[in-house]
Amino acid sequence: MALLSNFINGLGLGSIYAIIALGYTMVYGIAKMLNFAHGDVIMVGAYVSFVSIASLGTPPLLALVMAMAVCTILGVVIERLAYRPLRASASLAVLITAIGVSYLLQNAALLIWTSNTKVYPSIVSFAPLHLFDGKLTITGEMLISVLTCIVIMVGLTLFTGKTKTGKAMRAVSENRDAAELMGISVNRTIAITFAIGSALAAVAGVLFCSTYPVLNPTVGSIPGIKAFTAAVLGGIGSIPGTLVGGLLLGIIEIFGRAYISQELSNAIVFAVLIIILLVKPNGLLGKKVNEKV
Amino acid sequence: MLLKVDNIQVYYGAIHAIKGISFEVNEGETVALIGANGAGKSTTLKTVSGLMHPKAGSIEFLGKDISHIEAHKLVAQGLAHVPEGRHIFLQMTVQENLEMGAFTRKGDLTDALDNVYRHFPRLKERRKQIGGTLSGGEQQMLAMGRAMMISPKLLMLDEPSMGLAPILVEQIFDIIRELRKAGTTILLVEQNAGMALDIADRAYVLETGKITLSGTGAELAQSELVKKAYLGG
Repeated sequence: MALLSNFINGLGLGSIYAIIALGYTMVYGIAKMLNFAHGDVIMVGAYVSFVSIASLGTPPLLALVMAMAVCTILGVVIERLAYRPLRASASLAVLITAIGVSYLLQNAALLIWTSNTKVYPSIVSFAPLHLFDGKLTITGEMLISVLTCIVIMVGLTLFTGKTKTGKAMRAVSENRDAAELMGISVNRTIAITFAIGSALAAVAGVLFCSTYPVLNPTVGSIPGIKAFTAAVLGGIGSIPGTLVGGLLLGIIEIFGRAYISQELSNAIVFAVLIIILLVKPNGLLGKKVNEKV
Repeated sequence: MLLKVDNIQVYYGAIHAIKGISFEVNEGETVALIGANGAGKSTTLKTVSGLMHPKAGSIEFLGKDISHIEAHKLVAQGLAHVPEGRHIFLQMTVQENLEMGAFTRKGDLTDALDNVYRHFPRLKERRKQIGGTLSGGEQQMLAMGRAMMISPKLLMLDEPSMGLAPILVEQIFDIIRELRKAGTTILLVEQNAGMALDIADRAYVLETGKITLSGTGAELAQSELVKKAYLGG
């Protein structure tokens, strides 16, 4: 039963990783850059919802919506001011800028909210489910995380597969010049991608802090890095790959923590990443198609 | 006049790629730009379609200066550019590729699709196939079909014969002839000068960023200079 319980916890954590990883994957797939500030957008989302619940007394769902709105705007502004001017620059310059934006957000959070760790009030209000005479407990946060992840995955798959904007995103992701020649504004498409990814980061921030109720200005960086790992593990650029990578990472982390070593759980996670990438360099579901010339 | 390029100067960073080119394309014409590798043919097309912008000079399309308008805005005005190396969407199906070609169009695409499938029956057979699984010739057909989805006022083709077997080159040129007959205005860039001059009403010869010769297709095909440099005789 402990095994099942760990598995379910892993799924819950993995779902949150998957939601964060979507932000990395979409931005990488479409803008061809690693947005290392993504983890800190999670933190901003968590703080906005925290302030909204704790100071303004808004209901949790409204707090979530506010966090999403603020993060969406933040994501678009970051892209417009920090990344767009570097669109034609070397990818290293963009990478360093992203790291700079990450520190900027963390330090801004330090200024606004101080370094004092806050206890985050969970947005999930219903009681945990007790199954098998209380031997198996499923918390509301786990359940909501998994369900939210499923809804987002299905929603995004439909969005990129069926809608005109979604198809434009796929086109830009594959070939920027060709997309531009189809009449697709690459800049606008990238801005939309940042908007979606950042809104998802807010969702992930709220879920993560609801599950692990600790809030400080660096709260986003570790889940951010792990979600990035999940994206690479699953095959960066692929939505199903992100789901697989996120869930796998969550499960490995929880199992590593439970059965091998609490201290080494992060090392185990990254060791698995290295092994998988040695065998499958494009990630589990990543693919490579060659152009015929 | 549909397109009027006036003395444009284009740079790739510090490299001066186009050194004052002027040419024009009238409605209904097929105009060819021929020249060796690196002469600036592709750069010229990229500058016309808005992927690059000139440092000096002007480009008029339908009487309006478009030299600094972004590429995606020119598509809706009827400017289609089939880039060198096809650049189809390899992970999308044939039909999805064609739909992307019609991105700026609203409403029903049935007529546009039927028109493309009429010119390229092969694409119809493969419409559910993923672009990356097509042969080189089929990818070229798809790239051209995709550009035709907007019924362009000007269709620019960059090296449509590149890397294709002779039989496929013939096929592609047959289709260009058909499009021409149907009244499409075409600006064709080719290294295969013989085929290009044969099909073109008028042509320009480009050498290291400058136009060195111009005339009707037939005139240039007879020119000693062109014969020697580009027709292998």
